[in-house]
Amino acid sequence: MSEFLDLEAQDGIRMPWNVIPGTKQEAVNCVIPVSAIYTPLKSIPDIPVLPYSPLRCRMCRSILNPFSIVDYVAKIWVCPFCFQRNPFPQHYSSISENNLPAELFPQYTTIEYMSSTETGPTMPPVFIFVVDTCMIEEEIGYLKSALAQAVELLPDNSLVGFITFGTYVQVHELGFGLLPKSYVFKGTKEVTKEQILEQMCFFSGKKMPTTGVIAGTRDGLSSESIARFLLPASECEFVLNSVIEEMQKDPWPVPADQRASRCTGVALSVAANLLGVCVPGSGARIMAFVGGPSTEGPGSIVSKSLSEPIRSHKDLDKDSAPLYDKAVKFYDQIAKQLVHQGHVLDLFACAVDQVGVAEMKVAIEKTGGIVVLAESFGHSVFKDSLIRIFQSADDNLGLSFNGILEINCSKDVKVQGIIGPCTSLEKKSPLSSDTVIGQGNTSAWKMCGLDRKTSLCFVYDIAKKDGPDSIGQSTSNQFYFQFLTYYQHNEGQMRLRSTTISRRWVSGADNVEELVAGFDQEAAAAVMARLVSFKMETEVDFDPVRWLDRALIRICSKFGDYQKETPSSFSLSPRLSIFPQFIFNLRRSQFVQVFNNSPDETAYFRMMLDRENVANAVVMIQPSLISYSFQSGPEPVLLDATAIAADKILLLDSYFTVVIFHGVTIAQWRNAGYQDQEGHEAFGQLLKAPHEEATSIIKERFPVPRLVVCDQYGSQARFLLAKLNPSVTYNSDNPSPGGDVIFTDDVSFQVFMDHLQRLAVQ
Amino acid sequence: VDIKGLPRPLDGDEEPVKLSEAYPLNCHPRYFRLTTHAIPASQSLVSRWHLPLGAVVHPLAESPDGEEVPVVNFGSAGVIRCRRCRTYINPYATFADAGRKWRCNLCTLLNDVPGEYFSALDGSGRRYDADQRPELSKGTVEFVAPTEYMVRPPMPPSYFFLIDVSVSAVRSGLLEVVAKTIKSCLDELPGFPRTQIGFLTFDSTLHFHNFKSSLSQPQMMVVADLDDVFLPLPDDLLVNLVDSRHVVESFLDSLPNMFHDNVNVESALGPALKAAFMVMSQIGGKLLVFQSTLPSLGIGRLRLRGDDVRAYGTDKEHTLRVPEDPFYKQMAAEFTKNQIAVDIFSFSEKYSDIASLGSLAKYTGGQVYYYPSFQAVTHGDKLKHELSRDLTRETAWESVMRIRCGKGVRFTTYHGHFMLRSTDLLALPAVDSDKAFAMQLSLEETLMTTQTVYFQVALLYTSSSGERRIRVHTAAAPVVTDLSEMYRQADTGAIVSVLGRTAVENSLSDKLDSVRQQLQLKLVRSLKEYRNLYVVQHRIGGRLIFPESLRYLPLYILAICKSLALRGGYADVSLDERCAAGFSMMILPVKGLINFIYPSLFRVDEVLTLEPNKIDVSLKRLPLTMQCLDTGGLYLLDDGFTFLVWLGRMLPPELVNNVLGINLANFPDLSKMQLRECDNEFSRNFMKILRTLREKNPSYHQLCRVVRQGEQPRESFLLLSNLVEDQMAGTSSYVDWILQIHRQTQS
Ligand SMILES: [Zn+2]
Ligand SMILES: [Zn+2]
Repeated sequence: MSEFLDLEAQDGIRMPWNVIPGTKQEAVNCVIPVSAIYTPLKSIPDIPVLPYSPLRCRMCRSILNPFSIVDYVAKIWVCPFCFQRNPFPQHYSSISENNLPAELFPQYTTIEYMSSTETGPTMPPVFIFVVDTCMIEEEIGYLKSALAQAVELLPDNSLVGFITFGTYVQVHELGFGLLPKSYVFKGTKEVTKEQILEQMCFFSGKKMPTTGVIAGTRDGLSSESIARFLLPASECEFVLNSVIEEMQKDPWPVPADQRASRCTGVALSVAANLLGVCVPGSGARIMAFVGGPSTEGPGSIVSKSLSEPIRSHKDLDKDSAPLYDKAVKFYDQIAKQLVHQGHVLDLFACAVDQVGVAEMKVAIEKTGGIVVLAESFGHSVFKDSLIRIFQSADDNLGLSFNGILEINCSKDVKVQGIIGPCTSLEKKSPLSSDTVIGQGNTSAWKMCGLDRKTSLCFVYDIAKKDGPDSIGQSTSNQFYFQFLTYYQHNEGQMRLRSTTISRRWVSGADNVEELVAGFDQEAAAAVMARLVSFKMETEVDFDPVRWLDRALIRICSKFGDYQKETPSSFSLSPRLSIFPQFIFNLRRSQFVQVFNNSPDETAYFRMMLDRENVANAVVMIQPSLISYSFQSGPEPVLLDATAIAADKILLLDSYFTVVIFHGVTIAQWRNAGYQDQEGHEAFGQLLKAPHEEATSIIKERFPVPRLVVCDQYGSQARFLLAKLNPSVTYNSDNPSPGGDVIFTDDVSFQVFMDHLQRLAVQ
Repeated sequence: VDIKGLPRPLDGDEEPVKLSEAYPLNCHPRYFRLTTHAIPASQSLVSRWHLPLGAVVHPLAESPDGEEVPVVNFGSAGVIRCRRCRTYINPYATFADAGRKWRCNLCTLLNDVPGEYFSALDGSGRRYDADQRPELSKGTVEFVAPTEYMVRPPMPPSYFFLIDVSVSAVRSGLLEVVAKTIKSCLDELPGFPRTQIGFLTFDSTLHFHNFKSSLSQPQMMVVADLDDVFLPLPDDLLVNLVDSRHVVESFLDSLPNMFHDNVNVESALGPALKAAFMVMSQIGGKLLVFQSTLPSLGIGRLRLRGDDVRAYGTDKEHTLRVPEDPFYKQMAAEFTKNQIAVDIFSFSEKYSDIASLGSLAKYTGGQVYYYPSFQAVTHGDKLKHELSRDLTRETAWESVMRIRCGKGVRFTTYHGHFMLRSTDLLALPAVDSDKAFAMQLSLEETLMTTQTVYFQVALLYTSSSGERRIRVHTAAAPVVTDLSEMYRQADTGAIVSVLGRTAVENSLSDKLDSVRQQLQLKLVRSLKEYRNLYVVQHRIGGRLIFPESLRYLPLYILAICKSLALRGGYADVSLDERCAAGFSMMILPVKGLINFIYPSLFRVDEVLTLEPNKIDVSLKRLPLTMQCLDTGGLYLLDDGFTFLVWLGRMLPPELVNNVLGINLANFPDLSKMQLRECDNEFSRNFMKILRTLREKNPSYHQLCRVVRQGEQPRESFLLLSNLVEDQMAGTSSYVDWILQIHRQTQS
């Protein structure tokens, strides 16, 4: 296992198959596709940043890398992808075995280039806040203070814009200075770019040019007119603060039987158009703060009448959510526009109600936006997450912009697509497979927003057919993969990160052991989770449980050790041993059992799954559980109801929620205040330990998870119980003494494994 | 003809004060004047009268100190009115049945006297309490109206300002004058502490301003969708002045700077009006529009149709003087329906279609102010005074006015700024002390059977303090069978007022030339009739004769024909100026109109050395003819709107230097000259003269202009065109006019 983690630490990549089935048929037989979860901007300590442009293969444009074979005498390098021999240019003439450029060092398979000649000038990042005002005063108050704090943390050079919305959209002219001024648009109809140009007086009374695209300073807009709406944070701090300070609840009256009229769709479209007009092609993010469902104009998700509930998964299933498809279509349009402009949509949805995350998902995901879902703007999940975005600490998110990701692969590998926050640039090449999963049909993708954690799941296609010439020409049995990410670094300059990796492939039916040796079951679980979510969203009548079960049975049949028809003989290699448990938990997870959640929550969970790395995905699928007691130090325990004990504290990390659960005895002692009494320091320590651990989890996670501290039998205890294996249910014959009974009809893991073994050996 | 002997109204309007002695129970003539205080008894008599038969009503005329209108509250008795014709109790009502009944003087119905209102009668049938009760002893009273006179609670006075901030407004310095003036008036706006105020500025977009009292400064909200105007806020666009005072002041302080760099040339007046309507429609009030350029965007945009020489003399001529787009009249109807009165302040240096803009004021009881080519340095004072006057004068809100009259006569036409709600109800969203109305009468029956006809003007309104009130003016006039009596009782001022208004109205549907001919024809017919009467009675022929009461009428009619609104044709007056003058003539009270058409001319240089307290009495008005002007003199002409200072060619330069503070030789462009008081006796006295004249009529502020003798073309259009007794291009001199009329009366 640890070797996979080492590889990830070096290149930000994890693959389910690190030894690759060498033919198309073999790959199909392996059930889990050949795939990779790649974190393009993973923070890699001491990564070299080369101050020059990379050398490219004359044939396939791939970049010189440690896998290239170098002829130091002839000053030639051979491209590992296409075997083209490329001469080194003049400035590499001093190259020798003892004088290598960094990009040829074997440990620098991942490296960055930052050449000012190639990447152009430094661009300030642009942040445009789009703020809902249809909230109770209390929420407005929370939001104001959160925004004020965020404004303080904005990088000085960044440009800021401010839009508020409710019944109408208000674009604040921060550059006006004299007094607060805003442009107001109706929430019921979209505003075109041309209308923005004209109505917001970008030509200040002069005639607008009649032809040509007008956008940005390069296309004829004066920087003065742009600076009315987008200003350096350092220059507009005062105005921005007073706008935030005087922000009022949407003043239009709302009848008691109605929802507030909230035009989220038009507000976002105005923001997108404004950015399109002012800073096309330059890194910018729309940060939307939404406190309730959109009810007005395009993109609304529910009517104003409170008698009509907001759509549930059932409604979506039965096709009885009349506004859903229209809204999704609207946000898809916005997504296209933003991608075209290179801009990001971030969503901070803080409401007890749903706000339309499910509908907006397409725009957030395709632009690589951040999403935070919380119950209130006063909740730490929101507040602390927002601060994290702008905090310039070591563990900051490293918000980057305007990324383009390109790939190169060995000849026999094609890419079907990416599941993750990006958009296909539809650059079809010999590398793109005919079958498409996620964002496909291309070998280049746009990532308008990306950060250190953004992780993409590449699904490959092994193109090589079985046959005598299959192993013919290539001298090695290595596949190569190269990932090239161009992006606007959060410091403003354009950079290029190049990651080149190599994996051995094996062929033939007798290579099961080698395949198993290269199997990363965590990566496999993460890939399966993304795949199943993707299929649930895109395939009609898809049965996720059945699909997962069949996949698991086939894998166990192929890779398990057993005697045919003898379930008791079944065993799995350690490489595969916890995979069934992952699938068991995945079947029970929020990604598959969607009916327990709202469509907004599901969309949120899936967006997080689709942008997180393997380790975090695994926590989402199968929460970790640590037990604290006097008997022993903190120890991981099975995610099982039997873990509960009166004298133990449990710490559950289900990624979105961190639960500290006190057994009933512990709770009694704590309520009696023993921890503060002399002679009970150990109890005090015991109480403190899980909190310390929780704090360290929360600190490194984004969005910040919700922390639930609860006691056995308390109402909050459900946050723990829902995640436990129901080994002891009210159906069980022998409830465990001191433990808890879980009220569920789900099968327990033991029952599940029994079935699996029976079916696998058939 | 003896030129010097021709009658000249050098004392201005002659109020028929003698009537007050004959009819002490009548309201004062400042409120109500009949064109003749003798109502013809028969249709045939009417047809021989030829002049208008009607009245001029000035319901809120300012009364001198000590003559304030008494306020009467009937309390639980309710307002005492005739059951049948709804006439209000008045001094001409009589009591019967020992005081238990009262007889309506208009319809003769015998009404019950409510118990609370009962009083015994003396031997002559007069109530014992008659002298203590103003409604029984005075022609003008004001009743406090109970709730049944309200369709809704009385609304607070509200002032909403719609200000064009396009480049011309910015460059002329207008915004600064407007902002400063409004700010200086805030303490004097009527209706404290209920007064409401709001502002909307506009160019190619509409700028709403949020004055919420909790804000530290106003917030500007721009709405640019001109095809679909909407309010960005449900409240706080029109706010209570006391609560939001600091926000309003902060707005007025920043207004000039707010648009300092504005280079926008467009003006979306129509959409701005719609927006203002939306803001004001709930409570009504006054809408003051400051327009600096021709409306160019959105609904109600106007064409630069301008003055077209080819239209003059054709039957299309009048179309230049009426709105082309029905939008303005429709909008005005909406405004009136919602109790909104519109005042137009227009400042354009180019054509701005006053004809169209003015219709907003015309149908809402409003007013048109016109400052062509406004520049703050020259016109600032005039605007400041007139805007202050507009904001602080006594104003009646949410009002309707009706004039009742006794059996046999009926008012048929009304002339002024209002909207006629039914046949005889004038809707006046706001009306003030500067507005007068005219109306004409006709006989309903061929023969009148009564001896006296009673008139009662009732203005039902909301006072600035939020009280519902009815101001009632009652007057009686005798019915006569003798035409000469009608002549004897004729009131030239009232006649000229009605004639002037009807002439302006006719110019909206006819050529100027025919309008003037009609006026002349009326005069001729009337004098001919009189002559016939006279000749029959006294057998004297050969001379032009006119009744004493109408001795100035020929000159006044000549003056009307030469007034800004009606003179000449193309190029004699700019179209906008002509229309603006027309709008003014439609609202001016008698005195103002008379002075406007026949301005006062004084020789000033001779009195400047007198003792200050002797100056006023020593100023003598002069006939309006060049012959009165001495080349060595300094003259002042005052038409109520403008002062014209004329410097004779031989005027000693030292005097000019003293009075004006300039050296004529070094100061070629007198149009740029601003008058300031200099530190010498001449200047101080001169300025005092101007001040005194201005104080006499505070309704307008005379813009002072200086012209040198022989300085063409300024002298022509500033002075010579005002010398109505002289002959000018295509017009007759007074003498020729008299000869012409004389000839025609004899034919
Ligand atoms: Zn190559
Ligand atoms: Zn009556």
